[in-house]
Amino acid sequence: MKLYLYGIIDSSDQINEPIYGLEGACVCNIPYCDIGAVVSEFTEPVQNNTKGNVLAHEEIAERLMEHFTVLPVRFHTVFDGRDNLLSMMQSCYKDFKDNLARLHNKLEFGIKVIWPADKIKEHIINTCKKSSQKMSISDDSSNKRFMRDKFEKYKLDEEFQAKADKFINIMDIFFSKFAAEKKLKKLKTEDLLLDAVYLVEKDKQDDFREAFEHIKGPHTSFKFLFSGPWPAYNFVILPKNSDLLKDSRQEDLFDKVVQYQELAGAEKI
Amino acid sequence: MHDVAIKSKEVTLLEVLDRVLNKGVVISGDVVISVADVDLIYLGLKVLLSSVETMEKYRGAPITGPMQEPT
Repeated sequence: MKLYLYGIIDSSDQINEPIYGLEGACVCNIPYCDIGAVVSEFTEPVQNNTKGNVLAHEEIAERLMEHFTVLPVRFHTVFDGRDNLLSMMQSCYKDFKDNLARLHNKLEFGIKVIWPADKIKEHIINTCKKSSQKMSISDDSSNKRFMRDKFEKYKLDEEFQAKADKFINIMDIFFSKFAAEKKLKKLKTEDLLLDAVYLVEKDKQDDFREAFEHIKGPHTSFKFLFSGPWPAYNFVILPKNSDLLKDSRQEDLFDKVVQYQELAGAEKI
Repeated sequence: MHDVAIKSKEVTLLEVLDRVLNKGVVISGDVVISVADVDLIYLGLKVLLSSVETMEKYRGAPITGPMQEPT
C-alpha cells in the first residue's frame, strides 16, 4: 500500500467531511501523537505528474487550511506503507510541532511587482547624459571614451539598483505592518522588481489586502500580482542536516525543465 | 475581459506550480519511494514572465493596467 502525503496538520482527529484528492482517492488523517499526516491510499504508485494532479494536491492543502494549521508537503511525496510514514512522523515530530506552532493562524500571500525596466533605464540614461554634457570633456580620445562608457554603465547599474531598492522599501513598509514574516527577492530578472511572500495573521489579511490596493493605485506603469491566501509553503523551516528532511535535487536539469513546462502548459504559449 | 481571465488563470497556475513543486515540506530518505523534485525557483519565474509577455504579444493587446487578482 502506498500513501500519498498532502500535508501535516495540527490535529490527530479524523477529517469530518469527505474529501477527495489525487485521482479521486479518499483523503484521511493518520494520527501521530497530537498531529496528523493527511494522505490518500493507493495500491499502485501514483506516477501521473499531470496538471490535474498538481491542482488536486494544492486543493487538498487549501481545504485543510480552512480547518487546521497545515504544513504543505511537496507534490508527489509517497510512502511505502503506514509504518514508514509513522517512522518519519516520529523522527520529525518536534520540527513539525515547532512549525505548526509558528504558523498557527497565519496565511501566506504572494506579491510580484513587474516594472518597466527599459523605461527606467532610459530615464536614467537621459538624466546621466544631461549631467555629462555639462561636464563635457574636450579630449575625446578613444581611451577617455572607453573609460566614460565604462563609467556610464556602472552608473546606470548603480542607479537602477538604487531605484529598485527605493521602490521596494516603500512597498515593504506598507506590507510589513501587517506581516509576521516575509521573504523578499529583488530583481530576479530586470523586469521582476519584487518577488515577495508574506506570512500574515488571519485577522490581519484584510488590512494586508488594503495595503496592497493602496500601493497598487498610484503605480499605473507597474504590474502587480497578488496571490493568496496560500498554505505557508514558503515559511516551513526544517533542519537541512536531518537524515529524513533534505533537499533531494537529483534529477537531470533537462528533465526538470521539460516536466515543469509540460505541467505549466508552456509549450502552448 | 476574457483575455484578462485567461491571463489570471495562467498566472495562478504558475503560482501554484511554483509552490507545490518547489516549496513546503521536502521529505526524502530510505522511507520514501519517490519525491518529484522540480527546480523552478528561478526557471519558474522565467516561465511566468515569458508566459505573460508572450500572451500579450499573441493577443496583440498589451496589459495596460495592473494584473487582476487571481481567483
